[in-house]
Amino acid sequence: MVKLLERLWPKNMSGQIALLVGIALLVAQGINFGLLVRARDRQELIQVAAPAIARLADAIERDAAGTPMIRERGPWLLRRGVVVEGKSRVTGDMPRREDIAERARVALHDLRVPVLRVEAAQAAGSAVRLPGHDRIAQLRDTIDPERRNNRPYLIVAAEVSPGRWVNLITRLPSRDPRFLGWLFLQTMILYFVVLAAVLWSVRRVARPLRELTGAVEGFRSAESSTLVPESGPSDVRRLVAAYNGMRTRIAGLLDEKDRMLGAIGHDLRTPLASLRVRAEGMEDEAERDRMAATIEEMNRTLDDILSLARLGRPSEPETRVDLSALLDQVVDDFQALGNTVSLADMPRTTVTIRPTLITRAVRNLVDNAVKYGGSAEVSVAKAEKGVAVLIDDNGPGIPEDKIEAMFEPFARLEQSRSRETGGTGLGLALAKAIALQHGGRLTLANRPEGGLRATLWLPG
Amino acid sequence: MSDRPHLLLVDDERSIREPLAAYLQKNGFRVTAVGDAATARLRLAGYAIDLVVLDIMMPGEDGLSLCRHIRESGEIPVILLTARSEETDRIVGLEMGADDYVLKPFSPRELIARIKVILRRAGNGGARLRAPESESYAFAGWVLKAGERTLVDSDGVSVPLSTGEYNLLLALVSRPNQVLSRDQLLDITQGREANPFDRAIDNQISRLRRKVEPDHRNPNLIKTVWGGGYTLAADVTRM
Repeated sequence: MVKLLERLWPKNMSGQIALLVGIALLVAQGINFGLLVRARDRQELIQVAAPAIARLADAIERDAAGTPMIRERGPWLLRRGVVVEGKSRVTGDMPRREDIAERARVALHDLRVPVLRVEAAQAAGSAVRLPGHDRIAQLRDTIDPERRNNRPYLIVAAEVSPGRWVNLITRLPSRDPRFLGWLFLQTMILYFVVLAAVLWSVRRVARPLRELTGAVEGFRSAESSTLVPESGPSDVRRLVAAYNGMRTRIAGLLDEKDRMLGAIGHDLRTPLASLRVRAEGMEDEAERDRMAATIEEMNRTLDDILSLARLGRPSEPETRVDLSALLDQVVDDFQALGNTVSLADMPRTTVTIRPTLITRAVRNLVDNAVKYGGSAEVSVAKAEKGVAVLIDDNGPGIPEDKIEAMFEPFARLEQSRSRETGGTGLGLALAKAIALQHGGRLTLANRPEGGLRATLWLPG
Repeated sequence: MSDRPHLLLVDDERSIREPLAAYLQKNGFRVTAVGDAATARLRLAGYAIDLVVLDIMMPGEDGLSLCRHIRESGEIPVILLTARSEETDRIVGLEMGADDYVLKPFSPRELIARIKVILRRAGNGGARLRAPESESYAFAGWVLKAGERTLVDSDGVSVPLSTGEYNLLLALVSRPNQVLSRDQLLDITQGREANPFDRAIDNQISRLRRKVEPDHRNPNLIKTVWGGGYTLAADVTRM
């Protein structure tokens, strides 16, 4: 039950407000309804009781004067429903109307009509036997007994002398069934008018909030996100304006980061370039080559750091590229340096990528394979909704429980940070970041036949 | 003396400028080295400069602006030195009218090779590829865009080329249906002479074939000419 309520309870703002307003309106209308019914009952009492009491007083006076109840002249109605007998027509099973009895006592006292007791009650038509002379009424009741039996009657009985009662029987106006219908219709109109107004104002708040939520969720980089238009009530406008301001500040920070990285890149590459030029002047050829290789290594690390830091805002556009030609390029570069790297034959495969970044990712993976596995074999396989670039080596592989940790920046399998095996441990982290940035992924797995397989999966 | 090409080296970093100038001089060039764009303009007006080696990032007027000035006022080839590896910088540089670019830190030997290639092209009866950004070559369903150094097929798929492959293909498409010997190709693309067992050109040709031929085992675009040479068997349209 609680669960059902929880499920029905609306989660969003407009739903909750609509529901709460609905419930509040229902309660208010209920109270109103009760008050209205009470007011109507009072009105009815005055309308019905006053003539009934007047007729009763008239009947008592006639009875006291000995005038027959059947008058030759005067309004016919006055003599209807008056019965003088030895008992009260009010019986124990009828609902008493003490309020009317009290009014009658006061009225009779004011009119100085002496009575001993007054009783009043309400009765269904079936319980009331009218005096026989009311033919028209009898006829009507025969035709439509249903009507007679269901109509409520009011009986006011006054004991004028011990054992002599004057009974007055009169109809109560039947409850108008349309009254309830009107009330219901009125409630519904109120409901719709108020709900429409509430929902409209809630939507006015909810729409800019929804747009803002979308903008925050979709925030990848400052320039790809758009300013959210300021609309809705002033507090929502202020929130949207605050978000737009924050977005501008973030863009500013990113710009600053880019400028800083550019400056770092420039400031580090310039001395490296200077070293590289000076190295060329060295006499010892072997020493010179080693120095050039070290400088190249430093430069690559610098490139990796800068690429990783800038990955969020790539400057290179995505283009459709012949993947086979790109891989051939990478493999050729490694072969030119005398590494055992091969590329399996494959059909022409095109992918939509940022070629410089993917080249860097593949280069890092092949570099790892060569460094830790001695050789690399690059191949391409069709994969679900894309292609997979496989880089296999014949090295010792990686213990299964260490594989995840390899993707952490600066992680390397051996704890010593020796430069003997080279690398800063950034290569894999960067390759993975590049894969994710392309909507792909990178996995490492030990091959059953030995060695490690890196799989760079790219969406097609 | 007049044999030796005269280079103008523009770099604000003394730590690069001085050793590089010395190295270039040692390798047979006349070198005038200056530290800013304003002095470079003076030297350009005062000397017959054959080629400018230009750093992009300089205080004051930067290399790109000076490059544009050089391109507007004459035919002197320009090689850009850039500390940034971003693709956009490279393309902007080439669109500014530079003939080539080298990423810092560069191998001085590589720089000399590039200089020689460009001087060779310039010396070949004005066959220097001036204003490269305006040049595109369409052949056999391919477009070689000199400005961006990319090869694109009819579906818009770009095929990455190494500098050597690009130079080789450019040499072939700018001389369609001419037979070019290995020596000529080596001379045009790498600015050096072949040694007897040099397979560099043949290797690059076979790599190129893998990229552009529908069936690289039966090439009919880049054809081998009996007696030692290659030719591009296709009509080339300059765009």
